[in-house]
Amino acid sequence: MGYESEATTVALSGVIAEADHARTARYADDAGRVLAAAPKSQRQAGHHLRELVKALLLAANPLFAAGNTTKNFNLRQYRLGRWLVAIVALFGSAMPAMAEPGVTDSEIVIGMFAPLSGPLVTYGLDPVQTAQMLYEQVNQKGGIHGRKIRVVVEDDKCQATALVAAVKKLATVDNVFILHGGSCTAAVTAAQEFITREKIPLVMLVAAGDPGVFPPTRYMFGSFGGTQRLYAAALTEFAARQLKSKRLAIIVHDDEYGNASLATAKAVAARYGIEVVAVERVPLNINDLTAPMLNIRAAKPDAILSGAYPAPAVLVAQKYAEYGMTATPLLEMTQGIPTASVFAKNVGNEAALRNFYYSWAQNDVGDEALRQKWTSMYKSRYPDREPGGFMIIGVPSTVAIIAALERAGPNLTRERFVDAMETLEVKHEVMAGPIKFAPGRRDAIRDVNVVKFDGKTQTVMPGIYSWNGMDGN
Amino acid sequence: MSPIILQAIASGLVTGCVYALVSLSLVIVYKSVDLLNFGGGELVMVGGYLALLVVVRFGFGYLMIFPVVIAVGFAIGALFDRIPLNWIRRGHAPGTVIVPMIVATLGLSYLLKGAVRVIPYTEEPRRLEPLWRGEPLFIGDVVLQWQDVGIVAVTAVIMLGLWLFFRFTLLGKALRAISQNPRAAALVGIPVTTLRMAVWGLSSAIAGIAGVLLAPKLLMTPDMGSIVMMGFASAIIGGFTSLPGCVIGGMIIGVVQNLVGILISPQAIAVTPFFIIMIVLVVRPQGLLGEVIAAKKV
Repeated sequence: MGYESEATTVALSGVIAEADHARTARYADDAGRVLAAAPKSQRQAGHHLRELVKALLLAANPLFAAGNTTKNFNLRQYRLGRWLVAIVALFGSAMPAMAEPGVTDSEIVIGMFAPLSGPLVTYGLDPVQTAQMLYEQVNQKGGIHGRKIRVVVEDDKCQATALVAAVKKLATVDNVFILHGGSCTAAVTAAQEFITREKIPLVMLVAAGDPGVFPPTRYMFGSFGGTQRLYAAALTEFAARQLKSKRLAIIVHDDEYGNASLATAKAVAARYGIEVVAVERVPLNINDLTAPMLNIRAAKPDAILSGAYPAPAVLVAQKYAEYGMTATPLLEMTQGIPTASVFAKNVGNEAALRNFYYSWAQNDVGDEALRQKWTSMYKSRYPDREPGGFMIIGVPSTVAIIAALERAGPNLTRERFVDAMETLEVKHEVMAGPIKFAPGRRDAIRDVNVVKFDGKTQTVMPGIYSWNGMDGN
Repeated sequence: MSPIILQAIASGLVTGCVYALVSLSLVIVYKSVDLLNFGGGELVMVGGYLALLVVVRFGFGYLMIFPVVIAVGFAIGALFDRIPLNWIRRGHAPGTVIVPMIVATLGLSYLLKGAVRVIPYTEEPRRLEPLWRGEPLFIGDVVLQWQDVGIVAVTAVIMLGLWLFFRFTLLGKALRAISQNPRAAALVGIPVTTLRMAVWGLSSAIAGIAGVLLAPKLLMTPDMGSIVMMGFASAIIGGFTSLPGCVIGGMIIGVVQNLVGILISPQAIAVTPFFIIMIVLVVRPQGLLGEVIAAKKV
């Protein structure tokens, strides 16, 4: 809660505590002694505040006077309190904008957070700046129902502790209307308890966020780039339908990401009659993939599914080439390829990418004109920065927020915003499938493209690959 | 023996060489000044990023990378000893100087990590071009990259060079004297302060070389300095007072990690070095080739 309401609570508590004390002492005398001890200006201010609060309490309960009823009843205070309550009731309904945090007649304040420093900055800086760019475009057109969008940005470093601190600061100090951020699943889901308790909508920026959207909770919306379940389902389906795979090897991390990917891949594989011949679960910070890749090679799969983060994803591809496995298709989930050209350079081996595919929920890869359009738009706003591949993923969550703010109407509250998000279905040129929510659904995207990447050229494979919402859940 | 086991051993030996280099840089400092250098990992990281800078920014190859990394690494280490460590020595009584100096090495670690984050190449994981390119080398069923051969060769050269240096050169003998008895060394005219600076410089240069060799195998991030834990583990296993010991310790960790990953689970790889440490500390606390722990003459 905000510090203003805390101050009011303290004042009320002080009055009630003192009133309790008056059960054994005359209230007026005690209050007078307290006031007499304070400096004159504070005595005056304290006196007025106490009189006001007592008046409100008396108006609510005319018999309120701890330890004494008719003897201490103050008719003047009671009448004053009645007027005060009437005035507040009259104007209260006409001031929803002032009562709702982060909303005034002229602006809506959105709190953003993402990794803006450190090794994962590529997941944060470009998407945040894309969102800010889109919000500015809205403001240039006059805002939403006459309100301009103002953004407050914090760096969460992709760490749970820093993210939760940023969220709390945005909510309690900056009093934002909604939260828009989070590029790392483990970090952003750490904020779920707080936002649920405080009833602040959080719309994820880039994070797949599987634990935050499954099971769905009212105030958290996410997975605008797709969930782990979606990537695993899509690539397994691609392996089955296009590659005619019958023996699948899976390598994932031993975290929530990996759990979700593995369960979904296994479920989809079972549905298509694919045997999972090897499962390798590796630590996040592993720097030698010799053992897992040798195990996979020994299992003789006809497709390999990898859910590794960027650094281990490169090591997977390197070892895959070193151990002569390049005849077997390697399918990498989205989070391993923040920028395809950098990935190829880091792998440093053309042979490793002869049979390489990855999942991608956006249309920019297969559509050069679209990619140029958004890149130009971004660079005109940020001329000093060459955007990475995740720039485009800042678009869908921002588009969803803008659409929901429009639908929520001029009498904007957080609950109305959430209701608007819950019934949202938006198609956008950037996305392979629609952004869609529902009362029991908080993951935005369930369709992706599959891209073949040979180190230089990216080719979108025919078809859209989907997750049915059930496999792996 | 199964081909997969042979491959695991071969790859483990290569990885162990990198651990050995990191460990060497730590042991050189420990042997000379009785100090654990917790900034060693970040010195490895800086070496890798320096090499990347030389290649990407200036377009030079490995012929320039090694001299630049050695020179800059030496300078960083020497300056670290000359300025903060010397200041700490002057400000503290001899018996109370160790803890502040260890804290200073932690500070060095944070300083280097923070400084590297400022450069533009740290936004995404990066990789250096391999030292040697070419078709893989097959030894029976075992496949090795020429980069791996390069790592083993450079490690062997450094080991041989250090052995010759400490055994046959006047400077090396002086450093050995300092490690055995600094006061006596000073009494016979050995410039202890200057040579301490040289020790730190040498240690940092070796760490930088380890970073250059590591960079093509792993991806470079500002957090890659965590490899220092493998260096410490290698030194504990091999013996903190033995240069050959820490090389053997590194090899053991590299091989056993791979075997554990194949025979047990990849998830057990991370804890393997610490299990080995526990066993060594119980069976032979001074390490496999370390000297028996005894009071040092001063």
